[in-house]
Amino acid sequence: MTIKVLSGDHAVAYAVKLCRADVIPAYPITPQTLIIEKISDFVNDGEMDATFMPADSEHSAMSMAIGAEATGVRTFTATASQGLALMHEMLYVAPQTRLPIVMANVNRSLGAGSGIWAEYNDSMPERESGWMQAYVEDSQEALDTIIQAYRICEDPRVMLPMMVCLDAFVLSHTVEKVLVPEQAEVDSFLPRFRPLNVLDPADPKFINIAVSPAHSMEMRYQLDHQMRQAAPMINLIDEEFGKHFGRRYGGMIERYRMSDAEHALITLGSATSTARVAVDQLRAQGRKVGLIKLRYMRPFPHQEIQEAVKGVKALGVFDRSIALNGFGPVFTEVRNSVYRQGMPVTNHIAGIGGRDLTIPTFVQMFDKIEQSANALERECYWHGLRGEM
Amino acid sequence: MAAQTIAEAAIYEGLEAQAFPFFGAERRGAPVMAFCRIDDKKISVRTQVYQPDMLVVMDESLLDIEPVADGLKPNGSAVVNTKLSPDKVDLGIRVKCVSVDATTVALEMLKAPIVNTAILGAMAKANDIVTLESIKKAIASRFGEHLGEEAGRINAAAAQAAYDRAVLGESAAQRPIVKKRAWTPTWQDIPPGVALGQADMNGLKVGPGSAFQVRTGTWRTRTPRYLREKCVRCAKCWFICPDAAISRESDDHIQIDYDHCKGCGVCASICPAKAIEMAKGAKL
Repeated sequence: MTIKVLSGDHAVAYAVKLCRADVIPAYPITPQTLIIEKISDFVNDGEMDATFMPADSEHSAMSMAIGAEATGVRTFTATASQGLALMHEMLYVAPQTRLPIVMANVNRSLGAGSGIWAEYNDSMPERESGWMQAYVEDSQEALDTIIQAYRICEDPRVMLPMMVCLDAFVLSHTVEKVLVPEQAEVDSFLPRFRPLNVLDPADPKFINIAVSPAHSMEMRYQLDHQMRQAAPMINLIDEEFGKHFGRRYGGMIERYRMSDAEHALITLGSATSTARVAVDQLRAQGRKVGLIKLRYMRPFPHQEIQEAVKGVKALGVFDRSIALNGFGPVFTEVRNSVYRQGMPVTNHIAGIGGRDLTIPTFVQMFDKIEQSANALERECYWHGLRGEM
Repeated sequence: MAAQTIAEAAIYEGLEAQAFPFFGAERRGAPVMAFCRIDDKKISVRTQVYQPDMLVVMDESLLDIEPVADGLKPNGSAVVNTKLSPDKVDLGIRVKCVSVDATTVALEMLKAPIVNTAILGAMAKANDIVTLESIKKAIASRFGEHLGEEAGRINAAAAQAAYDRAVLGESAAQRPIVKKRAWTPTWQDIPPGVALGQADMNGLKVGPGSAFQVRTGTWRTRTPRYLREKCVRCAKCWFICPDAAISRESDDHIQIDYDHCKGCGVCASICPAKAIEMAKGAKL
């Protein structure tokens, strides 16, 4: 184990090297470019035995990743925002063909009315693509989640691709202390990739075929089953990771000061760190608040959340994107999970377009959550918005 | 087009109607299905038709490869494009049957073996729901709109000729109606990863969309004949075949897989030695 000072992007690059990825097709886009630049350095300098393939677009990068993975080699790519949108069509191929590609997506806002800063409106629309989705809190978790991702994705009981999401700049370009494991430690945790179907000229095969209505429904159910089956595997592999490396993250979710919490907030991504500080401050004042960190959007931790919010009087859900119909996507999923449990659930939109998330922002969220336990004023709040809601 | 036209004709009669296709790997010559439903009140159901009152077979070669009369009601009727008289048309069920040589009608009047308008005239003979006049009007409208007034007129005349030549009788019921052997696995049995060549069914390699199940050779209207003695073993035909229906022997002579050859003829046109010639018809 070596201590390094790394940005989130470079932490991802080190993880990919340690995982011995064989093929890295990629196309640059801010704020992801640091990842693939670092990997191309590793390959160029002989530190990594891999093929780095510059693509002419993200659509091509994903197509190349699919082709490479189908030949039975471990593949990695990275993208962000418009790049992910351009991949959209090809994203759907990997899950159904059961190619466990790992990709980093640096969350950057998409479309007009935004820039290069953090928002989840790039990755959230890809929830239905069949890719697993992890959201990380810091550089260490970025590195560790990439290593976990290859184990989870390539497990014969899962065999699905995963995008590991990290926030633009707040994580991608922020340097902090990262414990980088030794190669031998990673090698003993991550076995060689054993593919399901291999494209091999000696055994001709056709993948990603057109399928008639007579078979596609069973295939889609199989994929849905696979995604649901991934949730317990994520918990299991996180536990095993803890035994190997001395760090673990709770699997699908992490509970922070939840044991006697009456008012809880669900967060994801880098926002969780600042929200922890807000919880500590409010706890010091005697307020019974707690935090649930969502690590995965797909598979969604329905059971884990239902278990974690037992005894909670009011629940709030943080969203860093809006589904433009009154609520954010995380809220919709959470309320779907807990609707039988009956507590008021409020949505707290903040940090849109990369607006800075401050401690008072989270304190204000907890104020509103506490208030909702007595009287539900409204279901969705925008924090830091100028003008009446 | 025929299903749409009969629906339009029914609507002229003051009835309600719907017509819809089911597409597979569509191409002219490939077996396709189309459905038409006619009622005197608004039609809400949008399922396919499983127990038709009337069956229309536009290509009699289908009788040997598909159980076309499966589900046909015993008091229903059939219209078959054939040179045979109704009592020689073996549907596997004895029903009211109209036979007509629509292909000859089409070749005479349209100069092409496109039978979908001629067959409509024979349909008028098999039922009393939609009159020949309404059918001709519907043909003029639908075909006229797409191909011009003259085409509408010729196609309507083809329907009239088919009506005049159609023979009404009863079909034969010699062959058994055997449901097509289909691979319908549960979700657990689908080979994961949308890759072919994984599962076996009665010794047959299958998979979703498998070429082992879909015998595209039945689409053929021309058939390549391999003249082995002329072959110079250049393997150009093997390379160009879009269906991988040509295989190489160890000395580079070739074999043609007639289960999957669609008869496109590119092998014959690329052959520098004229060792492949295209014969008319689905078989040699």
